[in-house]
Amino acid sequence: MSIKGGYFKKMLWIDLSAEKIEVRDLSEDFILQYIGGRGFGAKLVWDHLEEGRDPLSPDNLIVVAPGPLNGCYLPAAGKTSFVSISPLTGIYGDSSMGGSFGVELRQAGYDGIAIVGRVPRLSYLWIDDDEVKIVPNESLKGKRSLEAEGMIKKEIGDDHVRITTLGPAGENLVRFAGLSSDWGRNAGRCGMGAILGSKNIKAIAVRGSKDLPVYDLERLREVSRESFKTLSRHRLFEFWQQQGLMSVVDYVNEAGVMPTFNFRSGCFDQANQVNGFVMEDRYKIGDAACFACPMACSNVCLVKEGKYVGTVVEGPEYETAAMLGPNLGVGNFACILKANQLCDELGMDTITTGSLIGTMIEALEYGLLSRSELDDLELKWGAEEEILTLVEKIAYRQGIGDALADGSRKVIERWPQLAPIISQVKGLDQSAYDARVAISMALAYGTSDIGAHHARAWTIAKELEMGRNWDLGKKADLVIYHQTIRPLFDMLGVCRLPWIELGFNEEAYAQYFQAITGIDYSLKDLLERSNHVYNLTRMINMRFGLSRKDDYPPPRVFEVPIPDGPQAGKVLSREEYEKILDIYYEKRGWDKEGIPSPEIQKKITA
Amino acid sequence: MPKKLTVVPERCSGCRLCELVCSIERFGVNNPKKSCIRVMVVYPHPVIRMPIICRNCREPKCRDACPSDAIVANDGIYDIDQEKCISCQQCVIACPFGAIFLHPDMSYPFKCNLCGGDPECVKACPKKALLYIPEHTLGQAHRMESVLKYAHMREVEYVEKGEKKKLRYADSEGSNNVY
Repeated sequence: MSIKGGYFKKMLWIDLSAEKIEVRDLSEDFILQYIGGRGFGAKLVWDHLEEGRDPLSPDNLIVVAPGPLNGCYLPAAGKTSFVSISPLTGIYGDSSMGGSFGVELRQAGYDGIAIVGRVPRLSYLWIDDDEVKIVPNESLKGKRSLEAEGMIKKEIGDDHVRITTLGPAGENLVRFAGLSSDWGRNAGRCGMGAILGSKNIKAIAVRGSKDLPVYDLERLREVSRESFKTLSRHRLFEFWQQQGLMSVVDYVNEAGVMPTFNFRSGCFDQANQVNGFVMEDRYKIGDAACFACPMACSNVCLVKEGKYVGTVVEGPEYETAAMLGPNLGVGNFACILKANQLCDELGMDTITTGSLIGTMIEALEYGLLSRSELDDLELKWGAEEEILTLVEKIAYRQGIGDALADGSRKVIERWPQLAPIISQVKGLDQSAYDARVAISMALAYGTSDIGAHHARAWTIAKELEMGRNWDLGKKADLVIYHQTIRPLFDMLGVCRLPWIELGFNEEAYAQYFQAITGIDYSLKDLLERSNHVYNLTRMINMRFGLSRKDDYPPPRVFEVPIPDGPQAGKVLSREEYEKILDIYYEKRGWDKEGIPSPEIQKKITA
Repeated sequence: MPKKLTVVPERCSGCRLCELVCSIERFGVNNPKKSCIRVMVVYPHPVIRMPIICRNCREPKCRDACPSDAIVANDGIYDIDQEKCISCQQCVIACPFGAIFLHPDMSYPFKCNLCGGDPECVKACPKKALLYIPEHTLGQAHRMESVLKYAHMREVEYVEKGEKKKLRYADSEGSNNVY
């Protein structure tokens, strides 16, 4: 099999401590097995494990990798993966970002960047096609993400340079600090911003001019024209452009699985104040899309009057709206926008921030923490001012914010009494769907390789549709299928939303892949490679001592029934979870402890 | 009937599909940097996005600035004749919209030629932010807006089949006003 397009077969390796920059060739075997994006990242992180395992030490390796489809003519081709050992969870972590950053990196002629080491002074990386420099710039210190992006554009003197930055939270090593580019596209999860912060790298700026290598452009054009047509004819296409992920608010609340009051309740009585229609009517001023995406999920919102007037942000999407709204008892959309803007510009993950603040409010309510331990803040559900203050305190590590900035694992170490009320798996806070109604969703959170995130599997809608008595084996199959296809999108460098939201046929991705690379892989071949990467990330996590004991959803899922709403009384049974976990392991070829079989392990280490 | 390529900036999502299809159609490559249209985003707050397009001016500044008469019209559409172009790039600077482009791989500047009268960018735009319309309809939206903004316009609300509706009318008391 030979590779005829899709790749430059080159990776940029930057050792910051030695100030050494080199371009390394990628072997065809490596490309054919790991495809790109998350696949490249996971393999390189695995190979590097012996050299560095402490996430915030200079030895840790971070990989930035778009995939071979990124930047090409097909729907939503703008995703880039950031892969490393996460400072939040201490295990394998990755996060992906939309926009145009990855496209630019590919146009500069690289299939990815690998960064190790640390520079003594705050700097940014400047990748200008073949010229790569580390540029010290201490005036960027403490600057918020968007301001830093603007400053670097001005310094370089080109509005079309694409820049990924971290905010003050990343500089302050907040363990769930994210990365931002294109004025509001974020790689939020797993603390990728803290890793670059620990390396004293404030930003990566890229300018590329090269043609992307496409093996059969005519063929790609034919297939994609049809794809764009199919998407635009979908009955929900226009509604999707209008509301994007904000349309999910009503669905989730009506289904009774809205994270409300720190995941205690499953529906919020003011949800109709913070849904997509309120956004459209009063706040939305424009659409924003990632590269080559017709769906334009993102909404640019502006607060035009009242206390938060002047607040402007690209967002929120559903997770942010839910975690900073209902989850904190906030029914004022303008306040959600303010919190969203703060998180984006300070450079912090909105899901984790919402979860930790929710935990603090509940802890105070239950008397698990005293007011003095919380800096005497009058924290309660819907207390907008105190919530916004706490967001800033986390980013700047002030008072209680310093403890929260270390994430839920460390919070539990310090206050073990909070373990039952923090919704997290492997140290990553749960994203915004209550798993108590759907055991497959609990399994998805429990077994996700990065922790409780829906990026790997989002099965809740299907299980709600099929009913609770749906066969456990089929539920496990669905989780595994999701865990195989969803990461494949991250390997290819495209967005999964056309598929999951508008029912776009996944077979098309094999056609794009063939047209672009000339590699004759079917969808099945690609899925096999994605599964290989899933086994690989499992083995990375095993090196950190993870096994079955770490594959459980948050305790609340088994212990506290949903108190109200359409799903009142629902809770999962621990016995049933043990059963589905056994089935899941067996189907994956892992043993009862969740350890991949010797044959699988041999394939990885071969 | 002469047609005009136009933009509705408020609709643009910044997806850059226009750039991409332009590079494929015009130069046969997948490279948004080789396109005759470019999406700009204002910052630091991304409140508006706008594709920069060639207006195909009747009396083009690019043509006037060209010392070698390389900008020539074909069926009313101006393009750069590479035989005559000396690549001094005066046209790039002269265009008031910034709609003539350069690329390190290309020896000459390049500009939109409306794909010979059937622009690919218009067909590819998923937000209908790019339009290719008869020239004489330009300004119609403003003409209608102007009527509706007329100081003596009044509104009456009514309900039809349970749906709230509004009707506008001009108050006859103002009938002697000159607008």
